[in-house]
Amino acid sequence: MESASVAVGQSHADHHHHGPPEANQSSRIDRQTLGILLFIVSEVMLFGAFFASYFFLRVVVDPQSWPPEPFELPKAVAGMNTAILISSSFTVHYALESIRRGNRTGLKLGLVATWLLGATFLFIQINEYVHLGFSARDLSFGSIFYSLTGLHGAHVFVGLMLLSFATIRAFRGHFGPKEEDHLGVEVPGIYWHFVDIMWIIVYVTVYIL
Amino acid sequence: MKFNEAAVFKWVVIVVAAGALIVAVTLLTRPLVGALLLLAIVIAGCIYAYRWWISQKRH
Repeated sequence: MESASVAVGQSHADHHHHGPPEANQSSRIDRQTLGILLFIVSEVMLFGAFFASYFFLRVVVDPQSWPPEPFELPKAVAGMNTAILISSSFTVHYALESIRRGNRTGLKLGLVATWLLGATFLFIQINEYVHLGFSARDLSFGSIFYSLTGLHGAHVFVGLMLLSFATIRAFRGHFGPKEEDHLGVEVPGIYWHFVDIMWIIVYVTVYIL
Repeated sequence: MKFNEAAVFKWVVIVVAAGALIVAVTLLTRPLVGALLLLAIVIAGCIYAYRWWISQKRH
């Protein structure tokens, strides 16, 4: 304790440091990236629980047919939606590659394109809900379908919020080419890729298989 | 291991390719075949992850 206070006193004299000492952090990964990694791991566990429920209902409960008659899933529309979301991963990657090269125009274009593609995905998903012909109360199939796709839709919404902040800051010129100067785009970009990967798994599992 | 957006994007491309393969196989054959392919890919992924973890422990 005494050595710590002496160290603080010395650093106070030398670096005008105020407050408690800096928390220990890894030299291999910065804290913001570690934070989003741990968050994504927790969300993967959440999705895992929903997938476990889906497979239990489909395999263990073993209905006569899946989806149960007369429900049908719009595979083509969802497939087009999948293509839109995959494109948005490419645009956010383009945005990040641009800012790594110091191209702020590319960053802004990429972020706006990503946001528009993500909003289009969400709009099509909501429109699909309106025209599906069954609700979350129609059998366990309806319940798990809306739960799984709705959970993903909520994640897309959160991702759009993060992208909104990043886009506004990009237009205000907050970001630079150095890694530590564009973490405000890097972290939403990582989250957006997670959302995209999750949708591919949801689409293949729920709509195709 | 470098964990940044570029590294995660690499995995987006891999998952998209795997997903496209499963969709194509399922539509051309039966859902059971697609499910078995998905299982095989998941098992391959687990083996890859284990081998990567072992290599990280060695370093």
